[in-house]
Amino acid sequence: MKKTLIIAGFAALLGTSAIAQDVGVSMAKFDDNFLTVLRNGLIDYSKTLPGVNLQVEDAQNDVAKQLDQINNFIASGVKAIIVNPVDTSATQAMSDAAAAAGVPLVYVNREPINIDTLPDNQAFVASNEMDSGTLETLEVCRLLKEAGKTEASAYVIMGELSNQAAVMRTKDIHDVIGGPDCGVKITILDEQTSNWSRDEAQNLMTNWMSTGTPFDAVIANNDESAIGAIQAMKAGNVDMKSVVVGGVDATQDALAAMQAGDLDATVFQDAAGQGKGSLDAALALADGKAVDQKVYIPFQLVTPANIGDFLSKN
Amino acid sequence: MAQPNATHGLGGLKYDPSKKARPQELNVFIAFVAIVVAFELLGRLIMGESFLFNTREGTEGLFNTQRLSIIILQVSTVGIIAIGVTQVIISGGIDLSSGSVVGATAMVAMSFAQTALVNGNPNPKAIFGDWAMDLPVLLPILIGLGVGLIAGLVNGALIAYTRIPPFIATLGMMVSARGFARWWSTGNPISFPTESYNAIGTGMNPVFVFIVLAVLFHLIMTYTKYGKHNYAIGSNEQATRMSGINVDRHKMLVYVIAGMLASVAAIVVSSKGQTAQANMGVMYELDAIAMAVIGGVSLQGGRGSIIGTVIGALIFGVIISGFTFLKLDAYYQEMVKGAIIVGAVVMDQWRQRARTRG
Repeated sequence: MKKTLIIAGFAALLGTSAIAQDVGVSMAKFDDNFLTVLRNGLIDYSKTLPGVNLQVEDAQNDVAKQLDQINNFIASGVKAIIVNPVDTSATQAMSDAAAAAGVPLVYVNREPINIDTLPDNQAFVASNEMDSGTLETLEVCRLLKEAGKTEASAYVIMGELSNQAAVMRTKDIHDVIGGPDCGVKITILDEQTSNWSRDEAQNLMTNWMSTGTPFDAVIANNDESAIGAIQAMKAGNVDMKSVVVGGVDATQDALAAMQAGDLDATVFQDAAGQGKGSLDAALALADGKAVDQKVYIPFQLVTPANIGDFLSKN
Repeated sequence: MAQPNATHGLGGLKYDPSKKARPQELNVFIAFVAIVVAFELLGRLIMGESFLFNTREGTEGLFNTQRLSIIILQVSTVGIIAIGVTQVIISGGIDLSSGSVVGATAMVAMSFAQTALVNGNPNPKAIFGDWAMDLPVLLPILIGLGVGLIAGLVNGALIAYTRIPPFIATLGMMVSARGFARWWSTGNPISFPTESYNAIGTGMNPVFVFIVLAVLFHLIMTYTKYGKHNYAIGSNEQATRMSGINVDRHKMLVYVIAGMLASVAAIVVSSKGQTAQANMGVMYELDAIAMAVIGGVSLQGGRGSIIGTVIGALIFGVIISGFTFLKLDAYYQEMVKGAIIVGAVVMDQWRQRARTRG
């Protein structure tokens, strides 16, 4: 009896993996807020498409685990694979594995290192990371200029140091400040990492404030860090009207902070749009259609003026 | 319980006052002072500023109170965990699950601490329906403590009754509790708690909770039967069992206390940040163990104290603040931090060996 049940169970498992439009999805991690919105966008969109069946796996930020998952997807005969890479410099092996098996592969959100040498049936869907830090910093510049400043000082809170988006956004900040478009001479007092975390950003900001150096702006790589800095400044009785704070992501928490008048600028990255775009690309490639190898979903600047458009998006 | 140095009256050995060891905590405290002095000197040399004292113009007071308070504030939540971990390590065990229990507790507690309206709009992060909105603050606290209690019970039962090593049992809990935290809201953060829940972690409240718990557990470990049994089990479990002490029941209690202290830390940290996220508390268990070990708690069990751990936590806080003060490049900070942890323990080992060689 037991044996029959086990066999029946296996048969059921095998049965589900043989449907026409199976797509394997390997996410870098499940407990990242932004990637969760992306993942849910992907799942919700797949439910509107009849016959499309997603299998979503969590790579738990482990490069080796992610490669195993991709090989497992290939072995179970999926029609296409969507990968949100754990480490953008470790994508060559994934591309090779999928190409060898002839399975289409779509990278989502994080730009693979082999972006310029992808095989024809592979693509990349994301927002152009160059835009996020640039939009954020330009808005900070604009607000400082509006406040009548010609010189200003700022603190920069970075995300995880090994993360490409953090490196890129920090570079954007430097580029804008050093470039001709800013219009205000901004001096960076210090830049440190909060590992994307609100709690660490809170501690970091309090440590900075303990030096007593006056500052005009806090430019953070993500909203959680910006919110942590805001909480620290409020606890230290800093007048939030006198400090310009910028973040990236436009999370619900950030939008609430903006409504409260604490956060001045954030940048919306269309997570659900990226999820939808990656599935569209994967299904098109599975059908043998040609797809642009770089599909960019635009970033959008969010300020108190247009916040209404974004309240229900993330 | 025999102290290793209490040799007088044994086998004709003479009591030699010069071999009387300084208390372990004093050594740790000296290291703490040395690190503070080092930052003070480096600060004056490199930055031209004082680390501890108020050298700003136009402000009052002898000390830089803002820096003094952040030094302890930023280690208070992990410090609360370290108290629980200390008594676990003294009993000869280890708890790797505390960081994950923080994540699980924060998620569960925060879902019962949400407020219905945010800036006049319905809470965009609502987990449950209207019935779970604006509940009295005691409810999320009790439910949160319940999460730690259950995690601790499972840890304790596995260790005491299946006799698997604490490292494995709590490793399992570390993985499972983190999985639970992610599953609870499918990875979504939970935010916008009530005013009364926010109040728990505002200002210096986390420090207050940390100090009160530290004093309480110092008294428990020093003066109660629970504390004495804990040291006895950590020194020699077999002998303790033989002398009729219910070791299994005691171990259950040890891990339940550790789990509940992790939950206290979770409530404090989620209130302080006004958010709960599934990845909260990652690495906290290792920071807590490091604080205890720097504070002179022996991983072999039977030796250490809450006071030592508190000083260990302060050393951590001074290092973090000192690095930011010196504007040490973010890329170097972790490398140096790791070296300091290992260095502190190496020095402790040398002292131990020098002492036993006499």
